[in-house]
Amino acid sequence: MAAWDLSVKVEDLGPDAPPVTISVASDLHVGGVILKLVEKTQMQRNWSDHALWWDQKQRWLLRTAWTLEKYGIHADARLLFMPQHKPLKLGLPSGKTVMLKACFSNPVFQTVMGICRMLNIRHPEELSLLRPVEEKKKKKDKDMTEEIYDLTEVPLSSVSRPCLYNGMPAHFADSEQMEGVYKMLSVTQPPPAPEVIAKQYRPASVVDKSHIHGRWLDSSRCLMQQGIQENDRLWLRFKYYSFYDIEPKYDVVRLTQLYEQARWAILLEDIDCTEEEMMLFGALQYHINKVALSEPQMMSSNAALDDLESALQSLEVKMEGDSSSASDLLENMTAPELNDYLKIFRPKRLTLKGYKQYWFKFQDTSISYFKSKEESIGEPIQQINLKGCEVAPDVNVAAQKFLIRLLIPAPEGMNEVYLRCENEQQYAQWMAGCRLASKGKSLADSSFQSEIQSIRSFLAMQKTNSGSSNNSAASDESINTHSLVSPRYHKKYKPKQLTPRILDAYQNVAQLSLTDALMRFLQIWQALPDFGLSYVVVRFKGSRKDEVLGIAPNRLIRIDLGVGDVVKTWRYNNMKQWNVNWDIKQMAIEFEGNVNIAFGCVTADCKIVHEFIGGYIFMSTRSREKSDTLNEELFHKLTGGHEAL
Amino acid sequence: MDQLSDEEVEVRGEEDEEEEDSDKEDQDLDKMFGAWLGELDKLTQSLDDGRPECPPQQKAPLRQETNMANFSYRFSIYNINEALNQGENVDLNALMADLSSIEQELSTINTKSSSSSNIVFSSLSLRQASLSMDEAARQTSSHSLSSRQHRRTGSVGTVSEHEVRNPSGRLSCGSISEPALYSLPHWFQFSEHSIGAADLCFTTQLSAPKRLTQPIRWPRSFTGTLCVSLKHSYLDRETSLILRNIAGKPPHLLTKEEQAAKLKAENIRVALEKIKEAQVKKLVIRVHLSDESSKTMMVDERQTVRQVLDSLLDKSHCGYSPDWSLVETITELQMERIFEDHENLVENLLNWTRDSQNRLMFTERIEKYALFKNPQNYLLGRKETCEMAERNKEALLEECFGGSSVSVPEMEGVLWLKEDGKKSWKKRYFLLRASGIYYVPKGKAKTSRDLVCFLQLDHVNVYLGHDYKSKYKAPTDFCMVLKHPQIQKKSQYIKYLCCDDIRTLQQWINSIRIAKYGKQLYINFQEAMRRTEAAYDWSSLSSSSIKSGSSSSSLPESQSNHSSQSDSGVSELASSGHTRSQSVVSSIFSDAWRRGTQGEVTTPPCHCLSRLHPCPKPHPPPSRPTPPPPPPSPLPPQSQQGLPLWPSSLTSWRT
Repeated sequence: MAAWDLSVKVEDLGPDAPPVTISVASDLHVGGVILKLVEKTQMQRNWSDHALWWDQKQRWLLRTAWTLEKYGIHADARLLFMPQHKPLKLGLPSGKTVMLKACFSNPVFQTVMGICRMLNIRHPEELSLLRPVEEKKKKKDKDMTEEIYDLTEVPLSSVSRPCLYNGMPAHFADSEQMEGVYKMLSVTQPPPAPEVIAKQYRPASVVDKSHIHGRWLDSSRCLMQQGIQENDRLWLRFKYYSFYDIEPKYDVVRLTQLYEQARWAILLEDIDCTEEEMMLFGALQYHINKVALSEPQMMSSNAALDDLESALQSLEVKMEGDSSSASDLLENMTAPELNDYLKIFRPKRLTLKGYKQYWFKFQDTSISYFKSKEESIGEPIQQINLKGCEVAPDVNVAAQKFLIRLLIPAPEGMNEVYLRCENEQQYAQWMAGCRLASKGKSLADSSFQSEIQSIRSFLAMQKTNSGSSNNSAASDESINTHSLVSPRYHKKYKPKQLTPRILDAYQNVAQLSLTDALMRFLQIWQALPDFGLSYVVVRFKGSRKDEVLGIAPNRLIRIDLGVGDVVKTWRYNNMKQWNVNWDIKQMAIEFEGNVNIAFGCVTADCKIVHEFIGGYIFMSTRSREKSDTLNEELFHKLTGGHEAL
Repeated sequence: MDQLSDEEVEVRGEEDEEEEDSDKEDQDLDKMFGAWLGELDKLTQSLDDGRPECPPQQKAPLRQETNMANFSYRFSIYNINEALNQGENVDLNALMADLSSIEQELSTINTKSSSSSNIVFSSLSLRQASLSMDEAARQTSSHSLSSRQHRRTGSVGTVSEHEVRNPSGRLSCGSISEPALYSLPHWFQFSEHSIGAADLCFTTQLSAPKRLTQPIRWPRSFTGTLCVSLKHSYLDRETSLILRNIAGKPPHLLTKEEQAAKLKAENIRVALEKIKEAQVKKLVIRVHLSDESSKTMMVDERQTVRQVLDSLLDKSHCGYSPDWSLVETITELQMERIFEDHENLVENLLNWTRDSQNRLMFTERIEKYALFKNPQNYLLGRKETCEMAERNKEALLEECFGGSSVSVPEMEGVLWLKEDGKKSWKKRYFLLRASGIYYVPKGKAKTSRDLVCFLQLDHVNVYLGHDYKSKYKAPTDFCMVLKHPQIQKKSQYIKYLCCDDIRTLQQWINSIRIAKYGKQLYINFQEAMRRTEAAYDWSSLSSSSIKSGSSSSSLPESQSNHSSQSDSGVSELASSGHTRSQSVVSSIFSDAWRRGTQGEVTTPPCHCLSRLHPCPKPHPPPSRPTPPPPPPSPLPPQSQQGLPLWPSSLTSWRT
């Protein structure tokens, strides 16, 4: 067979180097071409990651056994010889950026799998990459260099072994700097400054949100094919809101990043919630931040100890527990109680009398009061059982007002009782007691001390807020409550007004561990009505106006743009089939009961919509397959489109 | 204390070895008490084992007989007022007998331990108890002391029969008389200030009559130390000091004294646990059945509604069905609520006031689990009832309850809200979210951020209101009520909502239940279905018992839809306890729901169940061949068993 010249640009020689020309025959296979190239360049290096990229056809020549003829390559082909893994700047859900080497030759689905393996995130099928929203470069001064966590040095081979050391993947244990990266990944970020929240891009309408979803990359094609270049910036986000099998022990990074994504969705009003819900989200953020600061080690070291180590430790705990439970018990025998002079006021009674002082005794779950300390041996004036009551704080540290509002259920209705404390110390104790009693726990409960502690820390927070606001960063406790809520509430409330409201919500979550608090945050987020909706502007067949299609994990909804109401819901469960007409970019879906819908996609490619629907169907199949191996083939079949066939 | 001695005299006076009369009524009662004893026995056993309960397969009749043989007790605890009104003093007498026997045991132990320690019971409760006891006794004597005789034959286990002499003259047991509700808990409470070994023994043994046969032996030394008890502490100061010092030390490093102290502490710990167990409150409750009859049973304060239901079902041969419910009816407020299976029964009953007219009903209610039988009517937010294939129902339930968080059905719409203190009702647009019930303020859109929180669900329960059209001038009779469980009387804190139709009402009530209880509700249902299946298996083996071969046992609505509306307005919905499940529901309800539930009439109950649990049975191949759609090519074969969640339509691609 006749030999002809093939010129190939070798990236490693530099951008200006001339192409290397080699003599080939059409029946030479790609592996042979690479061998000749490497010999010709006379460079000593590891070429194992390199492959040929055919520029005109926008495809990689990855099958080394195929001949040039089979690929259809002639002398005019512009070929590029370069590594398949290239550095990429990756924006994480937390807002931090990592630099790592991602695969540019495999479908994005596999690229994401590789990235997640490196970052130690399980279930990579739930994530994907999207092009970032362009930041407005108005202010030059803001253009300071952001911190980039570099992971490019991690050898690709080491990532494949998932052996864990001290709770983190082995490749993070190599250096201190790497450990720092892991910490960034696995520990929640402190609440952002209110200005940072205000500065971020916030989608104002459903249409705005739908534009974001037009940015997702195609999972079945590779990065090169989608015009992504070396060192480009992409976002890594959870794309499918169907989080399978979250196991805090193994999912430290996953859970943290999921929380970060949820938190930003709340703060930027990407998902709507009520004021009460916002306060609870705020309280949880405050709590998570506080706990994360106080036990940063717990997270990583507890996550996955070596079997032996954990077994030993649990044994130790057990033994300690045994002995201490006995002594605890003994200590409990001296039933703890609180005794003090407090002032009481009953707003319900139609009297003009103000607060009256009595000697109060808090025992078990009830409060009784007496005329004076001396008379406390006898019958109390009244005894109030607090079980099931509602407790609300009414505190103003600056004004030295420490009020406990109690709403106590009785057969006749609810009785309102206010208890007024003299000082912080007293308030923290009695408040803690009231809260425990309302849950049916006595003062002997182990959480009593921590309850007191959390109340005091919140008081401290109010103190710093109400004092000089410039006195920021005085301690870890001093958080501007504006950092915990969306900008809407920055306008509505001053930090001073916000603090008691968040404190109100905080009392229900103050006892949660870090993991539990994260999980609770996610649960409340998932329980929001609009959770998991990805929007696309579409034009329904036969309709003259644009409408919005919401794609949720279990259903599709049609939203009227004019009214903003959900017009129609279709559930995947009733779906019989769907088709994509790639030529006219139209999707047609058939549901049971002869329901047919068809629409063209306006703000996103119809491949994205198709992939969303197929992807969610894929997600729903996972729960049945207990094996951990990802059925990649199925994913591509459900989401691939015509190229996959 | 004078009053008490009266009572004791009376109790003792009535002791008699002989059974004098044995009329029919008595025999019935005998059976009842035998069963009750069996119940107690079981309870104690489960206490001992630490297991929650006996398996339901153990049939009551058998146990009843053995119990009758072993225990020749006959006693009852009954509603005194009613008993008196009906002239049936038997129950009261039996109650007395029961109490006196306990006294006897107490005294036996007391003499055995030969301690003269003062037994000081919790004064408050005792006074209360004894007062009511006294009152009861007086009533007894005035009414029919002459007509009936107390009998007590034999005694439990090894405790020998002898004259009851309360040694200190202070010890007394009693129960608080409340209509339909007796509380016996305070027997076992004692002052924490002074305590001796003897007390410990008493309490332990009191709580569990079964254990009387094996009296607990306390180490001598232990008794010695304990008698020198300090105020607020069961340990002497020295020992506790030692204990505190050795808290962290490994066991082999301890000195002899320290080890002894530790041992002592351990003993005390065990003793305390026993006390704790002994302090378990037990209530004798009265459960009303549909046929105006009632059952009396003893419940443990730790028992869940499910456990109580199980024992009720065990005893009354009414056939298992997940629809059996315990319903709380609050007569004064004309409302009712089906207790959820996971709830604690005693805790709920303790919310009732002393003079409460409330009732606890044991009855079949299809609405209890209608949510899971026809989830499409509740979870999809649809306006019209529809049918759904069984596997799709399962998929829907799995979708809603299987994940890490439960999605609350999207309930929203115009409801009538009763204005505080007035008999006028206002329309408002309400929305249900996981975080509570909200409404749209006037002139605002229903965007999340503008919603106003109506109430949060942590502290309130949802009740069904009865006949509010006439009581409160409600627009319709389809009312629900949200209130704190402790509120028993009219109050501004009770919120009344009125729906346009029964369907909306049931959707709201069930959605609120989902928002409040979440996954627990589904677990309850699955558990109930498991019981049903177990019972079904059992009964199909035994030919003599209830025939449940037909599909109807779980389908009350397919049988008879009688309406039994009592004139009082509170419908006494209930069903006969002993015949086949005769579901009597108000016709208005069943009419509305028949359509929705018809779909499952053909399904036998056990089939139902197998669908709820992942079963090895392969799915039937889809019959309808549909051409595969172009873009997603046929699914690979290995996914075949992996898709039961997925609708039938998709499975067709695989063929």
